[in-house]
Amino acid sequence: MRILFVVSLIVLLASCATPKPAPDAFNDAEQAMEAAIAAGAEEHSPVELRFAREKLAEARKGMEVRQYDKSIYLIEQSEINSELAIEKSRAALTREKVTENRRENAILLEDYESTFGEDFK
Amino acid sequence: MSMKILRLVFLTILATGLFACTTAPKQDLALEQVRSQLDELKSNKELAGYAPLALGEAERALRQAETATGNDTYRIHLIYMADRRIQIARAVAQRGQLEEENARLIQERNDMLVKASKLEADMARREAEKARMISQANVEDAQRAREEAMVAQQREAASVQTAEDAFEEAEQAKALAASSATEAQLARREAQLAAEQADTLRRQLENLQLRQTESGVVVTLGDVLFETGETQLREEAMASLVEVVDLLQSEPDKNIRIEGHTDSTGDSETNLEISARRANSVLDALVALGVDADRFTAAGMGEDFPIASNDTEEGRQQNRRVDVILLDK
Repeated sequence: MRILFVVSLIVLLASCATPKPAPDAFNDAEQAMEAAIAAGAEEHSPVELRFAREKLAEARKGMEVRQYDKSIYLIEQSEINSELAIEKSRAALTREKVTENRRENAILLEDYESTFGEDFK
Repeated sequence: MSMKILRLVFLTILATGLFACTTAPKQDLALEQVRSQLDELKSNKELAGYAPLALGEAERALRQAETATGNDTYRIHLIYMADRRIQIARAVAQRGQLEEENARLIQERNDMLVKASKLEADMARREAEKARMISQANVEDAQRAREEAMVAQQREAASVQTAEDAFEEAEQAKALAASSATEAQLARREAQLAAEQADTLRRQLENLQLRQTESGVVVTLGDVLFETGETQLREEAMASLVEVVDLLQSEPDKNIRIEGHTDSTGDSETNLEISARRANSVLDALVALGVDADRFTAAGMGEDFPIASNDTEEGRQQNRRVDVILLDK
């Protein structure tokens, strides 16, 4: 009977109580944001970068009011927005390359067609 | 405390523990939306293949959200995370697609570069071939020109040879002509000499003094008809008598007397003899030239009837003569 009580107490604590964020969590989220900026997110994925920044700021606030669980979620959400910002930036940069290559190929083709005739291809 | 109360408390605590974080299924709609997004992305044939890992992570995150129990905040968080994972998967897939497009474009450019360099090489080869043909043509032209020049040269040499041959022939002809000319000249000279000789005689005959005497017309033939001391007429003198004949024939009715005379040189008997023979010689010649013999009488007169002085050579020459007298009736 006593054991049952202890177990139920643990379940109660475990189900609602959350631990503090890991000590490096904020650092990791910051670094993720830095990586996103380095990947060109300010230009290519500003919305996601802003989300990451806001979520991280909220997480810090959550720490102040001891809403640790909320802070942990917010840190995770900040990090995943940074990750998304990185991928979106990479995709955008790749798209720019595609556009540039298309343009160069068109110029090259035009040049060759004027040299070798319209049926160059 | 009864056992029943304790059990009730326990159950209450347990229920509280179990449901403390559960919420009403408010999030179902949001979850469904995220699920449909993922399904849509996964069924996108163009994109799905480029991000299998990211899609797997998104799927896992969504499952976690779908199966999550606990409070609203947690479930909303998981739904949010799943949504982000799906966005990440979409970005990764788009990047993959774009990178493939990039690779295709780079390949396309390389193909163009290769093709262009081939075409340039072909063009250069064709131009080289054209240049080679032109140069070959030039070589052939030069060869042809050389051959033509050679033929012309040979032709010229041949014509020079022909000219030389012609020249030689001409020279020979000229030499021949010159020699013929010389011969002709000689012949002409001979003829001229002969003519001159004949002319001398004729002149002498022409110079015959036709003297009218009481007996008739006297034609005196000089001593030129005879060699000195000879009584036979010189051969060429025969032709010179033609004029005398003409004169005689112009008066066919008249008789003709021929008298021979000499100079005073030598004795008179001999002179008479010579003059008689010479008179007869002339008579014979005139008869031979067609004058009727019956018309003639001939006589040697000797040295007794000179017509000039016998003291000079000129005189003596005049005295040596034959007179042909056309006798008046």
